Amino acid sequence: MTKIKNVAIADQVDHSSHPSTFLTKYIWSQDHKIIAIQYSITAIAVGLVALVLSGMMRLQLGFPNEFSFIDPSSYLQFVTMHGMIMVIYLLTALLLGGFGNYLIPLMIGARDMVFPYLNMLSYWTYLLAVVVLLASFFVSGGPTGAGWTLYPPQAILSGTPGADAGILLMLTSLAIFIVAFTMGGLNYVTTILQARTKGMTLMRMPLTIWGIFVATILGLLAFPALLVSAIMMIFDKVIGTSFFMPAILSLGETLDHSGGSPILFQHLFWFFGHPEVYIVALPAFGMVSDVIAIHARKNIFGYRMMVWAIIAIGGLSFVVWAHHMYVSGMNPYFGFFFATTTLIIAIPTALKVYNWLLTLWRGNIHLTVPMLFAIGFIFTFTHGGLTGLMLGNVVIDLPLSDTFFVVAHFHMVMGVSPIMVLFAAIYHWFPLLTGRFLNNKLGQFHFWGTFLGTYAIYLPMHYLGFLGVPRRYYAMGDTDFIPASAQTLNAGITVAAIIVGLVQLVFIVNVIWSTFKGKKSGRNPWQATSLEWQTAEFPPGHGNWGKQLPQVYRWAYDYSVPKVKDDFIPQNLSAAEVEYLPNESEKNKGDK
Amino acid sequence: MQLFKSLQEKPWLPITLAQQTSLAYYASDKESAASTALRFFLAVITVIFLLFTITFLQRTQSFDFQALSGEPWLPFTNAYMLWQNSAYLLLASISIILAKKFAKQQSLYAIIISLTATASFTLLFINGQVQVWQQLNQSGFYIYTNPANSYYFLLTGVHALHIIGGVLVFMRCIWLFSFNLSYQQLASRLKLCAIYWHYLFFIWLFLFFLLTSDANTFKNIALICGF
Repeated sequence: MTKIKNVAIADQVDHSSHPSTFLTKYIWSQDHKIIAIQYSITAIAVGLVALVLSGMMRLQLGFPNEFSFIDPSSYLQFVTMHGMIMVIYLLTALLLGGFGNYLIPLMIGARDMVFPYLNMLSYWTYLLAVVVLLASFFVSGGPTGAGWTLYPPQAILSGTPGADAGILLMLTSLAIFIVAFTMGGLNYVTTILQARTKGMTLMRMPLTIWGIFVATILGLLAFPALLVSAIMMIFDKVIGTSFFMPAILSLGETLDHSGGSPILFQHLFWFFGHPEVYIVALPAFGMVSDVIAIHARKNIFGYRMMVWAIIAIGGLSFVVWAHHMYVSGMNPYFGFFFATTTLIIAIPTALKVYNWLLTLWRGNIHLTVPMLFAIGFIFTFTHGGLTGLMLGNVVIDLPLSDTFFVVAHFHMVMGVSPIMVLFAAIYHWFPLLTGRFLNNKLGQFHFWGTFLGTYAIYLPMHYLGFLGVPRRYYAMGDTDFIPASAQTLNAGITVAAIIVGLVQLVFIVNVIWSTFKGKKSGRNPWQATSLEWQTAEFPPGHGNWGKQLPQVYRWAYDYSVPKVKDDFIPQNLSAAEVEYLPNESEKNKGDK
Repeated sequence: MQLFKSLQEKPWLPITLAQQTSLAYYASDKESAASTALRFFLAVITVIFLLFTITFLQRTQSFDFQALSGEPWLPFTNAYMLWQNSAYLLLASISIILAKKFAKQQSLYAIIISLTATASFTLLFINGQVQVWQQLNQSGFYIYTNPANSYYFLLTGVHALHIIGGVLVFMRCIWLFSFNLSYQQLASRLKLCAIYWHYLFFIWLFLFFLLTSDANTFKNIALICGF
């Protein structure tokens, strides 16, 4: 299809956004790369807060009643804030706001996002959401302790920590976050659809972009459910409506609510909540595919299937939500339906795992730090995915629900796995940002500490779940069916968690040190084919591409092509420019 | 269908030099980018109203739900004011089409008149909605006394926010036109505003039907939906 109108949007530089002062270059910047860094720094900073909160939870679980600053209320507040921050404010923001912003224009060959101003606004709105959320630590009653799912009626009733200002700030912050995400998300999908450079067909896009693209569409369609439920719960709390609130006695007093349905909130929450798993997972799937192909010097196995699987997973993710609600009670036929769709979604997901393994199979595997994290991801994701298959069945879920088995499952599948990919991606793309490598030895230490450490945390946690140890409990007390050895295991998990937490400090130190003192990487240090490494200026400057946009002649996975001199052919290299091995070049000229 | 065709491409197959001269390319401009973004945004808004509607339909079947029309003492048995407000929004929607047409014809006075009409009718709609809220309150139909009232205030409130968002973009468009926007650029922006206003109108018609239906209608809808 050739349809030329004016100057291509991919090639337009918005002069109003050209930075000339420190303020416009680094603070009120409209450059997608700076916005990406702003998103990333904010997300990682708030993620560290969540990491500290998890450390405090673990201290209580490992060594109950040893720490006077952790009481039952603050424990629940730590649980809630840790969960919400990690899922929404760290993972979603870092994967889409951070990596999405940085990589989309560079990988598709555009100069910037199509709406740079809106992009900038998206970041500042996100920052506002973070500030509002963190403000809840400083209000009377503290942050909400309702659990990250914020189920009513208890979320807004007296007796639950932070049931006054805390929950309102949480809901307001979520609403602001959704506005920010919508602004960013509209930009990502429009840029991918409208601003690809010449030759960049949809099926030549790297899988990173496919993952981000489908995840953004999921986000745009799923976050409204959270917005709707947040608005309705704010009404219930502030105005006294009864959307979710049934007739209820609270602390011996009859409240004015009547007829509302708490289950309705659960449906809305999980209609958002389950696609949210894939909003986090799909960009991770895409990025890990690229890291594996590049560091195994092999084309990704089954590219087309990988794209279709991303789309299929995205579609199916909207019809599995009620598997989070088996214990809430539902028509058995619905249970059957949701269990079936849950098991079906394993097919495209397993297909992706097989394709990663087949990409590695007989590849020229370079065990760089990004590759180590990518391989680590395959382990943790397979592990978490398999326990997901178990929990997807109603009969297995019922006894295991609300135990540590569930905690271990979702941490493996959507905590540790995306984090593994994030680290792989940071180690992989760090030279693109700074022109320097992250320190290799510190990186290796970081990987092994994180990989083995997370297994030391979550493998025993599955066992605790089988024993029936419930989640969300401040302390077990004298519980007959839980043996004393469970407490020993909990103490061990806490020690492992603290070690893993400290190992992350090594990573932070590595990032800061390497930004200024790291070994210089030179251009395209991983010898990758995708466009982000082929910019005129390195690291890429404002406008990305110098005078002319690149033209794309091939897909992003031409690695180890037989008879070709180098083991990679950049996407912007035409057939005529490809150098062949000496004895092959004459033959190839003849072919043309 | 183009999308399905694209998804069947086999990008790993080598291409010849001849194929490279006709590289696939869709050189889009700002207008088509804005149009794509608007369509996605309207999809987001559709999901929001769809989810509100599903929760509403479920709630209509609870024991304490009292529909707002169907009996002589109920406020929307005679929905005269809402019909009037609908007319305002329809007129706003029509006048913005005229504004776009006049922008193409570069007829400045006609543009000013039609844009003023759009702004006025939209403000009349919002004012009319606020008056309905006041009347409901004066008649004792408070937001918290019945789920039907709660949903009426909630849904019309969200719709009003949706309109205010549109009005802000519309005002920015006029502001830019008063400085440096060409007639052609104004026309293309008004085209998008018009899509937005038509959408606002259709959403309002849907809400109007939904919120002013009587108990029997809800019963039938719930039966069809399986609530």
